[in-house]
Amino acid sequence: MQDEAMSIFEKSPALRWAVPAVTAVALVGGGSAVGALQASAGSGLPERSAAQLLVDVQKARLDGLSGTVVQKSDLGLPSLPGSGGSGGMASSDLTSLISGTHTMRVWFAGPDKARMALLGTLGESDVIRNGKDVWVWSSQDKTARHYVAPTSATLTGAAAKHSAAKQSATRPAAGMPGAADLPTSPQAAAEKALGAISASTVVTTSGTATVAGRSAYELVLTPKETTSLVAQVRVAIDGAEHVPLRVQVFAKKVSDPVFEVGFSAVDFARPDAAQFAFKAPPGTTVTEAKVTDARVSGAGDVATGKSRAVAPQPSSADMPKVVGEGWGAVMVVKMPAANAKTGASGSTGGAADKNLEQLTKIAALLPKVSGSWGSGHLMAGTAFSALLTDDGRLVVGAVTPEGLYAALAAR
Amino acid sequence: MSAADVSIAPAERPLRHISARFLRSELRLIFGRRRNQAGMGILAVVPIIIAIAVKVSTPRPGRGPDFLSSITSNGLFVALAALSIELGLFLPLAVGTIAGDSVAGEANIGTLRYLLTVPVHRTRLLAVKLAAITIFSLVATVWVSLVGAVVGVALFGGGEMTLLSGTQIGMGSAVLRLAMATLYLGLCFASLGAIGLFISTLTEQPIGATIAVVIINVLSFILDSIPQLSWLHEWLPTHWWMSFGDVLRDPVAWGDLTRGLLTAAGYMLVFWLAAWARFSDKDVTG
Repeated sequence: MQDEAMSIFEKSPALRWAVPAVTAVALVGGGSAVGALQASAGSGLPERSAAQLLVDVQKARLDGLSGTVVQKSDLGLPSLPGSGGSGGMASSDLTSLISGTHTMRVWFAGPDKARMALLGTLGESDVIRNGKDVWVWSSQDKTARHYVAPTSATLTGAAAKHSAAKQSATRPAAGMPGAADLPTSPQAAAEKALGAISASTVVTTSGTATVAGRSAYELVLTPKETTSLVAQVRVAIDGAEHVPLRVQVFAKKVSDPVFEVGFSAVDFARPDAAQFAFKAPPGTTVTEAKVTDARVSGAGDVATGKSRAVAPQPSSADMPKVVGEGWGAVMVVKMPAANAKTGASGSTGGAADKNLEQLTKIAALLPKVSGSWGSGHLMAGTAFSALLTDDGRLVVGAVTPEGLYAALAAR
Repeated sequence: MSAADVSIAPAERPLRHISARFLRSELRLIFGRRRNQAGMGILAVVPIIIAIAVKVSTPRPGRGPDFLSSITSNGLFVALAALSIELGLFLPLAVGTIAGDSVAGEANIGTLRYLLTVPVHRTRLLAVKLAAITIFSLVATVWVSLVGAVVGVALFGGGEMTLLSGTQIGMGSAVLRLAMATLYLGLCFASLGAIGLFISTLTEQPIGATIAVVIINVLSFILDSIPQLSWLHEWLPTHWWMSFGDVLRDPVAWGDLTRGLLTAAGYMLVFWLAAWARFSDKDVTG
């Protein structure tokens, strides 16, 4: 046998090169095909209507789970310094979630026992909720922040049910309120999407999908609003556990999802309690912080999480306002007065001023637009548009620029 | 070669014996060479410099690169910091030197011809060469780890180690995790060595083959840092190297480590076969 094969190669030596070539193709192809095969495999799930699925999700009793969540976003943003997650190096900084691909490990064993670990290259940030204690740990700067959650109800009410701890602490920096709403777990994302269902949305099902090797139903939400940049939101719901496994947001402009968060591996066994125990290791800077109810439920989207440390709490007059509803909703934020004289703020400014300064600088590079509402600089991403007006208002929404202008005109 | 092959094919046992002896002499050559010993010395300098630099500098708070800031808490981090620094160039260069030299070096000084007159099948010769490269890769990585661990523990002490997840583990498990990271990286570098073995069959200039390996290594890192090429990243030979840090999570995150090992195995197989395709009918002169 061997000699026979050898003699074939002997006769036509060029044929030998086919061996490594075929092997390489088989390995690459095989690696890619495993995913494709899983996706096309017959799920064997009985048919279910959109309404039934929604009920299933509401009724789902999640005892516990652990798994790996991969979040990808390609919001068509210009790459900002420090926004991280680009290239081979993954940042474990919680503020870096705004762009790129991120891998998180999650453990969940009831509303008051949850842990999320954001994996960076040689770094890790953890948000751990264990009863009343919420810890935010960063391996990179060796800090641990400790929060005492007021009551379980306040926290869970404010953010998504299953992932309160994760949510409140993983919102990216202020200044990008539209993007700050990015949910970080499938549960949170699905509930957010489902909450937006009203007369504004066409809800359909599109058969089944395979997520993390599990058969899942797919719920498709299509916005009716014409100014919306979102073409579709697809939510994959586990066929057995009725837990959302993946959320994908498709924009009208591009064919790949602009935002995707989903499990790449999931296990519905209740994780060990030891997973949620956190004790600040020696050499760690521990900060005690207090979560007030107002911050959790009221100030909400803009100033939660990491941004709390850098951005001052806006006064109530400067609170963000939401114009419009459903998919066409636009958030209008009055920038703090410091913004008016940026560039002059110099060294006296704190971190917040620096952020503002940076934002204004970036905005100056963006195309200038004007209309009956005034003038400003526009950033038109694939999934949302942002407009910084010259009179210091920041308008953000998952709508076309026209949608933003309309919102400004309506005020 | 067919006539010679057919006549010795039934004699499996002596062949195996020859292969083992060949591997031993190959390793003796690699580790016996002065230049390779000097290279090992340079590899050991990095952890020593790291340890001394951290020891004499005043501790400053804030974030340090990679594992440097953790060294004062546990000396084993010297080994990890040294690995993370040397994986960019030094260790790949060391493996590239050995791999580039493996066939081209012998062709260059004319010993390859004599080697092939001994009844060693060319396929077997390549297998022994790859085994030697893999062993060198593992030894070099273990060497860096070992020097780092010894110097680190001597200067900063051992004790409990704080993992990336903030959990603390005992010294025994810490050593085990360091061993896992070292083994993982050693196998990763060996996959680069397989690429080097292939290049080494293309030329008779060992230095050219070594430079080519380093270029491939650096190019892979560069491509890995271009976000627009993200579809390519997971296939790059160096992409999963930094995942060695995953052994320091609680619990260990096996996903990327497994991908890394599979990628390394894939590169080894494909480039070993390519080396075989090239070498089997190569005219050996010199």
